[in-house]
Amino acid sequence: MAWELFLWLLAFAAAISLIGFSAYQLICLSDLEFDYINPYDLSSRINAVVVPEFMVQGTLCILFLLTWHWFPFLLMAPITYYHTKLYMKRKHLIDVTEIFRLLNEEKKYRIIKLAFYCSIFIIVIYRLVTTAVLLLMEDDYRTMESGIF
Amino acid sequence: MQPRGKEQANFPGRPTSPFLAAPQSSTPFRSPGPVGGIEASGPSRATTPFVTSGPMTGLGASGSPQNMSPFLSSGPAIGTQPSSYRAPPPSMRSNGPSSPPTSSFSAQDASTYQQSQALGFPPAPMHPPPIGQPHMPPSGTFRPQSQIPVVPMGPPPQSSSQLTSRSNMPPSSGSVFSAPRTPPQPLLQGYSNVPQRANVPPFQPDSQFQASRPVSQPLMQVYPAAHVPPTHTSQYHAHQSLVPPPPPVGGPMGFSSREQLQHPLTGPPIGGVQGLIEEFQSLTVGSVPGALDPGVDTKSLPRPLNGAEEPTKILEVYPFNCHPRFMCLTTHAIPNSQSLLSRWHLPLGAVVHPLAEAPDGEEVPIVNFGPAGIIRCRRCRTYVNPYVTFTDAGRKWRCNLCSLLNDVPGEYYCALDATGRRCDLDQRPELSKGSVEFVASTEYMVRPPMPPLYFFLIDVSVSAVCSGLLEIVAKTIKSCLDDLPGFPRTQIGFITFDSTLHFHNLKSSLTQPQMLVVADLDDVFLPLPDDLLVNLSDSRHVVDAFLDSLPVMFQGTSNVESAFGPALKAAFMVMSQLGGKLLIFQSTLPSLGVGRLRLRGDDLRMYGTDKEHTLRLPEDPFYKQMAAEFTKNQIAVDIYAFSEKYSDIASLGSLAKYTGGQVYHYPSFQTAVHQEKLRYELARNLTRETAWEAVMRIRCGKGVRFTTYHGHFMLRSTDLLALPAVDCDKAFAMQLSLEETLMTTQTVYFQVALLYTSSSGERRIRVHTAAAPVVADLSEMYRQADTGAIVSLLGRLAIENSLSQKLEDARQSLQLKLVKSLKEYRNLYVVQHRLGGRLIFPESLKFLPLYVLSLCKSVALRGGYADALLDERCAAGYNMMILPISGMLKLIYPDLFRIDENLLKDFKDGQEPLRQLPLSAQSLDPKGVYVLDDGFNFIIWLGRMLSSDLLNNIVGVELASFPDLSRVVLCQHDNEISKRLMRILKELRARDPSSYQSCRLVRQGEQPRELSLFLTNLVEDQTAGSSGYVDWILQVFRQSQGS
Repeated sequence: MAWELFLWLLAFAAAISLIGFSAYQLICLSDLEFDYINPYDLSSRINAVVVPEFMVQGTLCILFLLTWHWFPFLLMAPITYYHTKLYMKRKHLIDVTEIFRLLNEEKKYRIIKLAFYCSIFIIVIYRLVTTAVLLLMEDDYRTMESGIF
Repeated sequence: MQPRGKEQANFPGRPTSPFLAAPQSSTPFRSPGPVGGIEASGPSRATTPFVTSGPMTGLGASGSPQNMSPFLSSGPAIGTQPSSYRAPPPSMRSNGPSSPPTSSFSAQDASTYQQSQALGFPPAPMHPPPIGQPHMPPSGTFRPQSQIPVVPMGPPPQSSSQLTSRSNMPPSSGSVFSAPRTPPQPLLQGYSNVPQRANVPPFQPDSQFQASRPVSQPLMQVYPAAHVPPTHTSQYHAHQSLVPPPPPVGGPMGFSSREQLQHPLTGPPIGGVQGLIEEFQSLTVGSVPGALDPGVDTKSLPRPLNGAEEPTKILEVYPFNCHPRFMCLTTHAIPNSQSLLSRWHLPLGAVVHPLAEAPDGEEVPIVNFGPAGIIRCRRCRTYVNPYVTFTDAGRKWRCNLCSLLNDVPGEYYCALDATGRRCDLDQRPELSKGSVEFVASTEYMVRPPMPPLYFFLIDVSVSAVCSGLLEIVAKTIKSCLDDLPGFPRTQIGFITFDSTLHFHNLKSSLTQPQMLVVADLDDVFLPLPDDLLVNLSDSRHVVDAFLDSLPVMFQGTSNVESAFGPALKAAFMVMSQLGGKLLIFQSTLPSLGVGRLRLRGDDLRMYGTDKEHTLRLPEDPFYKQMAAEFTKNQIAVDIYAFSEKYSDIASLGSLAKYTGGQVYHYPSFQTAVHQEKLRYELARNLTRETAWEAVMRIRCGKGVRFTTYHGHFMLRSTDLLALPAVDCDKAFAMQLSLEETLMTTQTVYFQVALLYTSSSGERRIRVHTAAAPVVADLSEMYRQADTGAIVSLLGRLAIENSLSQKLEDARQSLQLKLVKSLKEYRNLYVVQHRLGGRLIFPESLKFLPLYVLSLCKSVALRGGYADALLDERCAAGYNMMILPISGMLKLIYPDLFRIDENLLKDFKDGQEPLRQLPLSAQSLDPKGVYVLDDGFNFIIWLGRMLSSDLLNNIVGVELASFPDLSRVVLCQHDNEISKRLMRILKELRARDPSSYQSCRLVRQGEQPRELSLFLTNLVEDQTAGSSGYVDWILQVFRQSQGS
C-alpha cells in the first residue's frame, strides 16, 4: 500500500508541475500580447518548457497505465495522443514568425490544457488523500491489532 | 457629439477652416468632383475630359460623377454657413449645374462616345498631372540616387576621383530631398477653392439639386427636414451612387426604359456609368449561359481600360490627408457599429505604401525639430499632424487620436491668430501636409545608424556558371557599385558556394582578393574575423578585381551540389553585427548540409486533398528560423531564383517573406531572354533609395484597431512591423476591426509612422496622416469604396488562404465575399425599385467582379496542378504580397494593346496613344500585332494573317526559316518597324520603373506556347474549369439574387 501512496505523491508533484508549465506559457503569451516581451524571447521561453511538459505528462500517463489505474489513464490518454501527434508533425514548438497570427489559438489551446491539468490535479489530490487516509487507518488498525493497547 | 463637432468645425486658426469644416459635416459626400468638374480653369486634370463627355452619356445635364459632385458639395457649404466663414458669393458658376439637360441619348451613339473618349483621355491616367497644385520650383537635385543609369565602368577609379565625382551630389540626403520645401500647397488650394464651393448653395432651390442631395441625407442632420425630397427619388439617386441628377424626364419611372439604361453602359467606366449596370432579364429567362444573348452586351460590361485611376478625390474633402498613394483605405468611410461592419462583407482595412515614389514636386517634406525634439502626444505617441488643434492661445495642443491636451514646448510655441490658427502654419509642413518626414534624434536609435550594407551570396554551381548567370550578375553588380546608396559608408561582401563555401577576403591593403574555402558544412565558421565585409570606398579596387575574376574563377566547374543552408548561416555570421541586405542568387535546389530540400515536387495526387496547401508552405523549419534570426539582426533577404527545375521557392521565399525582402523568380533562366530583366531589376534593387532597419506602426483613433497585417515583414509586437529594409516597391496591407460596438466619434484618424535609417545615415520618421469619416450608412461605405485597395487586400487574403487551404477553397471564399457584398448592396435598393432582373452594384465597385475574376485566374490562384508550375505559383504569390495597388491591378488585369498600326504608320513625335483593349480573344485580330503587358512581362502576339513583311521586320530574320519563336530574342534591328516597336516597348516600360518587362513572342496558333503564355492571360475568356466574364457576371448575379 505504501507504493500507492508514493505513486500518488509522484502524480501530485507531476500535476503541479504541469499546471506550472501551462500557467507559465500562458503568462508568457499574455505578456507578448501586452508587449512586455518580444516574440523571440517568448518563443525561446515557451519552447524551452514544451518538451519537459510533454515528457512529464507522458510519464505520468504511462505510470498510470503500468499501475493499472485505468480511470486517470483514460483521462490522460487523449492528451498524450495529441502531444505525440504534435511532436511527430514537429508542430509542438512555437513558430516565432507566425506567433501573432496564432496568438489566440495558442492561448486557447493552453487554457484548455490548463483546465484539464487542474482537473487531473483535483483527482490526484482526492486519490492521494484517500490513499493516505486508508494507509493511516490500516496502520492504526494494525497497531491496534498488534495488541499494544 | 454636437459640441465636439462644432469645436472641430471651428478648428481655430486654419486657413482652410471652412474647408476643414467640410470634412466634418460633409464627410458623406464625395465632393471631389467639384474641383475637377466645375473648375474649368483648373490645371489639366484627368477628369476634365468628362465634363465635355457628360452630356453625351445621355443621362442628362451632367453625365459624369464629376459634374455631379458640385451639387453634392453643397452639403459642406451649408454646413459651414452657420459659422459664417464666408457668405456664399453670388453664383457665377452656373455652367455646371444648369447646362441644359440633354435628353437626346439616342442622338449620341455609343461608338462616338467611346472614340472621343479614347482619343481624349488615355494618356491622362498614366501620368496624373499634379493635382491642382501650383508648380513648384524645379528642384535640380531631386534624388540623384534613384536614377538607375548603368554607369559604364571606367578605369579602376581611385577613391579621390570618386569623391569628386560624387561630391556634386548633395552629401546629406536632407538636401537631396528637401530642396522643394515649398509653402504648403493644400492651403492655397484650400483658399482658392472656398469660394467655388461656397457658391454652390444658391442652387439649392433648384429641384435637381434637391434630388441629388439626398445622397447624403441619411448622414447629415444639417439639412432642414423640409429640404428632403420625397424619399423615393432620393433613394433612387442614392443607389445610383453619384449618378448625376436625371433629366427631368428620367424620374424613377423613366428608369426602366432600356434605352436609358443601356446607354451609359456603352460609355466605359468613367463616364456616367451608374449603379445599375446590366439588365439580365432576358438572360435569366433563357438560353445557354455564355452564349451571346442579345440581352447581354459583352462590350458594355465595365472594364478598367483607362489605366488605374488614383483615388485622389479624397484629398479634396480632406486636404490634409496624405496622398492615397501612401495610404489607401478600402472604403473611406468607417462603419460606426459592429452590426454595420458585419454587413460590409469586403475587407475593411488599408493598403499602405510608405515609401511610394512621389512625382517631382510632390516630395515628402523633411522637418527637423532640432533640440526641441519631435512633438508627440504624451499618451498615444501620435506625431504632430495637421489635424491636431491648438488651444489656450497656442500653449496647448489636442491630440486628434486620443484627444489628450498636450503642452506645446517653448521652442515650438507660436501665437494663434484671430481665427485660432497658428501664425506660422505656412512655414510648418508638419501642420499643413499629410505626409512629412521628421529627422529623428538619438532617442530613436538603439545603436548608431547602420551604414548601407549589401552582401551577396552567390551560387557558383555548374548550372549558374553554364547559364551565363554568374557573368551577368558580376557585371551588373560591378556597374552598380558607383550608384550604391550611402557613399562613402557603404559596406559590401561576398560569399560564393557550391559544395563548399568560399569566403573572399577583400581587405583594402590587398591587390587581389583572396579566396578562403571552408569545406566543413556541419559546423560553419568564419575563416577570418573581419575583412569579409569591407567598406566599399576603401576596398573598391579589390571588389572590382573580384567581380572581374568571378566568372572566370568558376568557369570549369562541374560541381552540381549546393550547400545553401551552411552558406546562409555563414552569411548570417558575417552580417549579424550590422544587418543590411542579403542578396541570394540561387540556381539549384539546396542539396547539402542543413536546410537541404527534397525534390518534393509538384505532386498531382496532392491536389484537391487536404494536404494540397503543404506544397506551398516551407518544408523545412530551418528557413523560418533563419528568417526570424535575420529579422532580429536587421537583415533583409532578397532571393533571385533561376532554376529550370523545381527549386522549392515556397521554402526559399519564406526567407524573404519574414525579412521584408522580395522574391525574384526567373524560371528556366536563359541569358538571351532574361538578361535585360535581371540586369535592370538587380540594378534597381541595388540603387533605389532604401530605408534600413525600419519599423512601422499604424496608430488609429479610438474605437478601431488594426488586427491583421499582410505583406513581407515580421511582427515584433501586436502592431509593430519590423522591416530590416524597405523601399519604394513594397506595400503592406492591413485589416481593421472595431473595438467598440458603437463609435461615438465622427472622424477616425490614422497615422502611419515608419522609423528608419536613411542611406545617408540619418534616422528618419516618415509620417502619413489620414482622416476618414465615421458613417452610419452602408450605402455611404459602398460609395466611398476603393476597388484597388479592396482587390489588393482580397488578393493578399486569398494568397494567405491558399497557404492553409486548397486553391479551390481560396477562390471560393473570394467569390463568396464578392457575392455577399453585392447581395447586401442589392438588398439596399432592389426592393424599392423593382430591379429584380438586374445586377446592381455601386459605381465605386464596378470593376470589382472583373478583378475578382482576374484574381481567381492569376498565376498564384488559378486552376490546379496543370495550370501553373508550383514554383511559379509560389513566386507569384510572394510577389503579390508586396505589390502596391497599381502594380497588383496591372498584374491581374494586364494591359493589352494593338500596335500594328503604330508600327506601320510613322508618327514623328506625337506617338498615337495606345488603346487598351479588353482581355478577350474577341479583341484579337489575326491581322494584328498585340502587346500584353502585365508589368513583369511583355508578350507580343503575332496574328496568323500578319503580313510576312511586318513579321520579318519585327523578328529580324526570315521567320519561315526560323520556326521556333521561343528562341527568338527581340532586339532592335535595322529597320523602321523594329525601331518603332522598341520605342513603344520602351515607353510602356517607362510607365512603371519598379520592374522590367522581358519580352516574348508568340504566334497565333502556336500551341502549346500560345496557350500557356498568352491565352491564359485573357481573363475574360472562358477556359477549362473557369468561367468567362459574362458567365461570371451571370453567376455572381444569380448568387446575389438568391436570398
